[in-house]
Amino acid sequence: MTRLSNILVWILGAWLAVVCWAAFHYAPTAQGFVGESARIVFFHVPQAWVAVVAFCVNLVASIRYLRTRNPLDDARAAAAAGLGLLFSILATATGSIFAKVMWGSFWNWDPREVSIAILLLVYAAYFALRQSVADEERRGTLAAAYAVLAFVTMPFLVFVVPRIYWSLHPDTIINTSGTIKMESRMLQVLLGSVAGFTGLFAWLYSLNVRLARIALRRRQREEG
Amino acid sequence: MPETSSLFWVAAVTVVIWVGLFSYCLYLHARVRRLEEGE
Repeated sequence: MTRLSNILVWILGAWLAVVCWAAFHYAPTAQGFVGESARIVFFHVPQAWVAVVAFCVNLVASIRYLRTRNPLDDARAAAAAGLGLLFSILATATGSIFAKVMWGSFWNWDPREVSIAILLLVYAAYFALRQSVADEERRGTLAAAYAVLAFVTMPFLVFVVPRIYWSLHPDTIINTSGTIKMESRMLQVLLGSVAGFTGLFAWLYSLNVRLARIALRRRQREEG
Repeated sequence: MPETSSLFWVAAVTVVIWVGLFSYCLYLHARVRRLEEGE
C-alpha cells in the first residue's frame, strides 16, 4: 500500500510537471489576449473546477453527517470546505494576475470577480461558525446545515451570475452557446491540467481525512 | 516572440503555486505516515 501510494504520488508529480511544460511549450499562443496572459487558463480553470468539486464533497459529507452524526463525516466536510476555500483563493489570485496583464488592474469589479469574492466570504463564514461553537456535536450539526445552505449559492455565483451580466471575463469555457471555444492543443493541456489538479485535490483531501481520523482516535483513547 | 513581462508573471505564479502545493502535499504525506506508524 505504501509502495503503491508512493508510486501514485510521483506519477501525479510527473503528470503536473508535464502539464506545466505543455502549458508553456506545447499549447499555442491564444489570439486576442495580451502577450502570453491566456496561458494562465491552464491553471486558473482547473483551480476553479477543483473548488467546485470540493464544495460538492463538502455538501455530500455534510448531508451524511446530518444523517449519521459520525464525527468523521464532519471532519470530511471541514476538510473539503478548507480545500474549496484554498483553491478558490488560488483561482482568484491567478485571475487577478490575468486581469492585471490584460486590463491593467488586479481588481475590476467584474461580475465574476465579485461573485467569487462573495463565494469566498460564504465559505469563510462556514469556518467562523465552526470556530464559534465549542460543543462538538452542535458545531457539526450547525456547520452541516450551513454547508447545505451555502452550497445553494455556489452554482448561482459560479455559473449563473457570469452568464446574466456582461463581463470582461473571456467566455471560452463558460458561455451561452454551451461549447468550449478553444484550439485543440490548448484543450488537451487544459483537460490534462484539470485531471492533475483533481488528483492533487484527491490526495490533499485524503491526507486531511487521515489526519482527522488519527486525531479522533487519539481523543477517543484519551476519553475512554 | 512571446511578450516577456506577461510570460514571466504567468510562469512565476503558476510554478510557485504548483511547487508550493506539491511540496505541502509531500510534507503532509510524510507527517500522516509518521503519525500512523506511531499509533
